[in-house]
Amino acid sequence: MDQARPGRDILDRALRTSWLAALALAATVAPGRPRDAAAILAGQLLAFLHFISLRKIVKLFTEGRRDPRLALMIAAKVTLVYGGLAALITLGGVRYVPLCAGFALPFLMLFLKSIMLALGAGPASLTARRATETARSLGNAAKPAVFLLLLGVAVLLAFSAPPGVALAGEAAHGAPAAHDAAVTHGAAVAHGGAAVADRDAAVAHGGAAHHNEEGAAELPNWLVILHDFNPGNPLVSWLEKNQVIVFAWIAGLLFLLVSWLAMRKPKMVPGPFQNAIEWMVESMEEVCGGLLGPQIDKHFPLIGALFFYILTINMLGIIPGMKSATSSLDLTLALALITFLYVQFWGIRNLGIVGYLDHLAGSPRDAIGWAMLPVMLPVHVLGELAKPVSLSCRLFGNIFGEDTLIVVFVGATALLIKASLVALAVPPMAGITALFMMLQTLTSIVQALIFSLLATVYLYMMLPHEAHAHEEAHETH
Amino acid sequence: MLFPAALGLGLPLGIGLAAIGSGIGIGFLGKGAMEAMGRQPEILPKLQVAMIIGFGFAEALTIYAFVTMFFLQGRIG
Repeated sequence: MDQARPGRDILDRALRTSWLAALALAATVAPGRPRDAAAILAGQLLAFLHFISLRKIVKLFTEGRRDPRLALMIAAKVTLVYGGLAALITLGGVRYVPLCAGFALPFLMLFLKSIMLALGAGPASLTARRATETARSLGNAAKPAVFLLLLGVAVLLAFSAPPGVALAGEAAHGAPAAHDAAVTHGAAVAHGGAAVADRDAAVAHGGAAHHNEEGAAELPNWLVILHDFNPGNPLVSWLEKNQVIVFAWIAGLLFLLVSWLAMRKPKMVPGPFQNAIEWMVESMEEVCGGLLGPQIDKHFPLIGALFFYILTINMLGIIPGMKSATSSLDLTLALALITFLYVQFWGIRNLGIVGYLDHLAGSPRDAIGWAMLPVMLPVHVLGELAKPVSLSCRLFGNIFGEDTLIVVFVGATALLIKASLVALAVPPMAGITALFMMLQTLTSIVQALIFSLLATVYLYMMLPHEAHAHEEAHETH
Repeated sequence: MLFPAALGLGLPLGIGLAAIGSGIGIGFLGKGAMEAMGRQPEILPKLQVAMIIGFGFAEALTIYAFVTMFFLQGRIG
């Protein structure tokens, strides 16, 4: 309907939202500091006038006639907005910060609205057009874009809590012995030749001392080995400290590389590589589409990116010398938080604020429903908050448990070889380890699938079920 | 009883108990899925998705116990 002028629509919506935000902000500070609340509202009013007059000016200017009203309008705008600002600051004795905050609100809203539009969440007329466009022609570009965004947030979150420190610190706080154990273990690895065997001596040592979780619980990856051979190098020790991020980046780059190679020159009749990738993406979309219905087109970029990213990370752990970054709670928590925010965002977006609160309150429609409100509301809020916790703990626990299992058996093999019981060690132990590695492949796929399917289910619970209701009505007929 | 000793005794026991629970749950799920599959083989793809989601929920309980163990492991010694 308003497709001809998408900019105006966006501006109107941004201004409306910014008025709401300014009123809410002013109402929060009003009881304590009424002057600041007034300043916020004044700043918002001036910015509003700024946008309104700017729109008039642009309209007059683009119509092309030499209109005397143009100069008048510009003069009025400059006087009103900038003069108003200057007068308020110098004469009115208004504090600078709240005034600026109020003035910046519409700009911020405009920025956020345009980001939402870019992600396909604008007003209905625009998104409908964009969604089909995205599905038809930009599909291959949109998926890596969402993935990059995801990766950025993951890295930010992982940086805010240094990997390994969060868990080990919590488990062993007040136990400086853990650090000592780690140091001695590092030395033990450094002076030996075969890293695995010495590492497993350290496993035994750590198991006896009960201190050294982070060192003992995993096989050495190439970063640890590099660190052991170059103990003083700051770059290497930085990489070793942030190995979760490094391996997450490696997995992400691998994922990007594969999808770029497959879709570099898409053909109508695909070659084997493109065919394989298309089959994977399409079957994943089919599985999620069976749950979510036709809305899958809009949400598949995130869900698919989650699935393939987690799958790549998990599978990376099978390669010797690599590590599954999902065996750290930091990364899985970051992924789960992204899912959580995405689901809540779409819940609010589709149901509206009131409908969202109604959904959280358990949709009370009768007296009993309203009477149960004080019970249902906390239950539903807690249920929402439990989702990211269970998502992240499930992924982390499975991958970490699988890694630990393999470490234990590799350690047993190495101990037996050290005791020169080769006949006992190699055939049964190596066989069992290989079996567990096959199991690890299975776990990697299933866990990636469960993570993305549960994200789909959570999303489905938040979205209105028009298609589903329609289907049921169809069945009853 | 000392706190570390109680922890050392309780953590593996807790995981075992949790595993019994999710084992029963997964067993029931698998039984139901197999029966449904035998009766109606054509719903296989839909069934598999639902089954895997159910497995995920049932298995998560043991994983919670496992993560709890991991958090408390450092206090045993």
